[in-house]
Amino acid sequence: MIKQIKTAALLTLVLLATGVVWAQTTTTYTPGEFQSSNPFYPKPNPFYFEGKIDWNLLGITNPANTWDYLQRGIHKQDDLGDTAGAIQDYQTSYSMNNLSNNTCQIVTSASFVNGALPSVLTPPPCMFTVRLRLAHLLQPTNPDQAISLLKEVTQIDPLRLDVNALIGEVYIQKAKADTDPTQQQSDYTQAISFLQAELALSPVTSVVVAQTGDTANNAHVHWDLAEIYEALGNAALEKQELNSYLAATQWHSDTYPWRIALAQERLQTLKARQ
Amino acid sequence: MRSKNSVFIAGVVFTILLWLSGCGANSTTVANVQPTSTADSVQVQFKEQDYQRPEVCEPCHQRQYDELRSSVKSGYRNVSPLFNGLEFSSNLLAGGLLRPVYSDSTIVLPDGTPLNSNMFTTPVLTETRQVQAGFCFTCHNAHVERMGNNPNTREVPQLAGLGANFDPTQLRPLRDYHLVDANGNQILPAQIGGYPPAGSLPSLGAAGITCDFCHNVTGPDLNRSFQLDGFANMSLEVGESVEKTGPFLQPVAVKGNFHVATNDQSRIDFLRSGAFCNACHDVRVPNNNLTAEEHNMNPGGQSVEYYRLENLSTEWQKGAYNSTSNPFGKVIRCQDCHMSLFPFAGNTSYTVGDLNITSPTPAVFPQNYAAVPGVATDNNAPLPKRQVVTHYFAGVDVPLLSSQELKDRLGSDYPDPYQPGTDEYGLPLALATRRQALMDAAVRISLAKTDTTASVGGTLDVRLEAVALSGHRFPAGFSQERTAYVKLTVTDDNGFTLYQSGYVVDKPHPQTGEMAPDGNLDDEDLEHVEAVVDPGHFTSPYVPGAGTNGHRNLVFESGPDNGPDSRVFSGIPEGLVLFRNELMRVFLPGDTLGRTDANGNQTVASTAHFEETFSASFANSVDNYRSLQPLVPREYDYEIELPTQAELAEIGVTLKSPLHVHAQVNFEHFPPLFLRFLTAATGPNGPTGHDVHLLNESVIDDYLKNVEDIASDDFTVTLQ
Repeated sequence: MIKQIKTAALLTLVLLATGVVWAQTTTTYTPGEFQSSNPFYPKPNPFYFEGKIDWNLLGITNPANTWDYLQRGIHKQDDLGDTAGAIQDYQTSYSMNNLSNNTCQIVTSASFVNGALPSVLTPPPCMFTVRLRLAHLLQPTNPDQAISLLKEVTQIDPLRLDVNALIGEVYIQKAKADTDPTQQQSDYTQAISFLQAELALSPVTSVVVAQTGDTANNAHVHWDLAEIYEALGNAALEKQELNSYLAATQWHSDTYPWRIALAQERLQTLKARQ
Repeated sequence: MRSKNSVFIAGVVFTILLWLSGCGANSTTVANVQPTSTADSVQVQFKEQDYQRPEVCEPCHQRQYDELRSSVKSGYRNVSPLFNGLEFSSNLLAGGLLRPVYSDSTIVLPDGTPLNSNMFTTPVLTETRQVQAGFCFTCHNAHVERMGNNPNTREVPQLAGLGANFDPTQLRPLRDYHLVDANGNQILPAQIGGYPPAGSLPSLGAAGITCDFCHNVTGPDLNRSFQLDGFANMSLEVGESVEKTGPFLQPVAVKGNFHVATNDQSRIDFLRSGAFCNACHDVRVPNNNLTAEEHNMNPGGQSVEYYRLENLSTEWQKGAYNSTSNPFGKVIRCQDCHMSLFPFAGNTSYTVGDLNITSPTPAVFPQNYAAVPGVATDNNAPLPKRQVVTHYFAGVDVPLLSSQELKDRLGSDYPDPYQPGTDEYGLPLALATRRQALMDAAVRISLAKTDTTASVGGTLDVRLEAVALSGHRFPAGFSQERTAYVKLTVTDDNGFTLYQSGYVVDKPHPQTGEMAPDGNLDDEDLEHVEAVVDPGHFTSPYVPGAGTNGHRNLVFESGPDNGPDSRVFSGIPEGLVLFRNELMRVFLPGDTLGRTDANGNQTVASTAHFEETFSASFANSVDNYRSLQPLVPREYDYEIELPTQAELAEIGVTLKSPLHVHAQVNFEHFPPLFLRFLTAATGPNGPTGHDVHLLNESVIDDYLKNVEDIASDDFTVTLQ
């Protein structure tokens, strides 16, 4: 009898324990369990996430699409210093997000459906990051392709800052390497055109002056223009750009502060020549 | 089907086990509980108790009261001009939709659904408007919001008109409602946003997150979180009874049974876990995110889309500190850094990648009484000393208010954030000092991989490695405003500056009336971008949206130190290294950007246009990956052009070897341009047409105090 009671008690305890375990497994709260789909891997909606996400967070084993290749390229470029590998991945990404093979589109009002942007676009939007990054890496060896990529970015987002300035800088690089004076003149002219397009994107309006006190901006663009005009021997425009550079640095200084003294010195020299 | 007998036996056995585990003992010592039993479980119904002011807890828990009093989440946060300004300006944009509604609301949503519950009181959030209703207020004052269902205990009223019917001229900052007279009746400043009337006292809502609120929490409310996981939306279950959750089982009975300490192990475990913090330290804004699709997973709520503003809890949840794979070999919870002796309890040395790190040791707790001996217990029952937590909740903020205004709004005993002295453990009493120490522990940098030689006219490659040591990314929280950055200089041996990044320049700020440089650098923005956010302007009738209510960039230009975007998007190794995350607005074709071209014509996007925005309520995309990931070093390169010999000759400089590279991490809790936007948006020329007295240039100058040099390194380069 005692044995039966012991057995029954033991059975009860086992059942109870089993019940407790069952209860725990069905009610246990695991924080974040619903984020197991990886909260760090963004799903386009309809735009791709343009930027860099830490590679170790993405959980990409084998890149499967244009965005995966872009991210692996960024990882190779920024984290591993593997420029060749990055270029290869960017090129693959670009080939999968390309206007010429209709794998991407520039989003305009024509992309709207019933007057609204749909959450899925076919083909998906063209990305600017892959083009900007690939252009930067190709610039030393293939400036023409770099310019082509950058110009695509100005189609994707004509209001994006800095892109026209980057195109201008590539043309300056080309001009400095030119041995043909005509070509050099042409490249400098192109550079001027794009640098001025950059300035036009953030004009110094009366609102800007009233809100900031600035009478000029884009110091580095003015510096580049001054150097072009110096190379072209156009003292008047060089002087104008040096003055704009100094005005733009009045309240913002420069990452290369010695250029401020150099600009002042060059203005003095130009004045002395007059 | 189980038999009645088996149910009965199980119930008896379960009751016995509960008694053996102590629940029965507790329930018999407290006269005011009403146990009820069912066949399967014992449900104890404790007596309801109104939310208590912290002062009620003070006699028995003096130490905890004092500590909590000096944290920003207790009090300051709710009277903060920044929080109030942010909530206020977002309502100006949204037509008041972020103010709470209550059970007596007669508002009907376009689909016919009544809107009579807010973010906290809606059982299952299925409509964006429910998430919006009280969106900011909910995490700052959830219990006060719930009390608002009773008009007699309502602090923050429901607005008379919303959307197109919203009247901005009558909108009061939330803090206006957090004042009472000596009888506990609400009194309002005579002028909207005015100074507290003489003799006014702080309301319950003024106390922010109180003792009672956290210790009433019974667990996560999974149904109110978008992913059914207890993250964001203040998705907590809160019991409003005398049963409070403490950190351990079987505490000594409370004098007069004022409250009961729960013996519910799951409640205790939740209080002690990092998960407790998830409900408010992830913030998910119900705006469509155009670069990352996420939506409410609750049945019927799929149309509620959101973006992640604060992602701190997710970062911790998925990070190394929520595992044993970290330098301390154990899970380091939120409490281990923000409720312990950290960072004042010794250091630990370890290696992360190739970086040798020495940093403060987390999870060291003091031994103390949990309550005041001789006061807290009946018959002077003895209390043991135990391992206890601190309630300082050190963070990255210091108040943007004078000590006197803090006292006038929060009580005459409100501590000075800069007070001298230390507590019984040797921890600084000053919130500002604790902030400094916390920041000092958060990050380390190294220049060790920098080029050792350089030539005039050549390129110097400076390589900076940075690693966050925090349990989440650094910076975290409102990480799109929290501004951590690298200040870097390269000088020659005579001190001639060859390169600078992360610098600021003293300049005028006409937007807020500073017409000339004022000698203060703490109120200056970094030089990667020049931006002025449109504060909007008064119009009648009111029209919701950015057209007249601001939030777009009135000025937006690249600066000379433009590193953040060129590094991320173009991969160009130059310019500012900024760890601040970035809010973005994707303007769609046909949208106006809010500024004009050289001819005065509105700039209109013809294609999709991505642009940084400084307004969380205007953003429809976010980059939360510019901040530093914990325990994963990241390298930032600077390709620095050295001047040519000819250029040096032009300015009469001869460089002296060696070159000195200095890098340091600085921190500012808010970018000045953001404060100036809020100043103007809540000022006399903003959409209300009058000043609501939250911010001005003087407040920015006096109280925006940055933390410099929280980590640094130096490197010497031989000039060849």
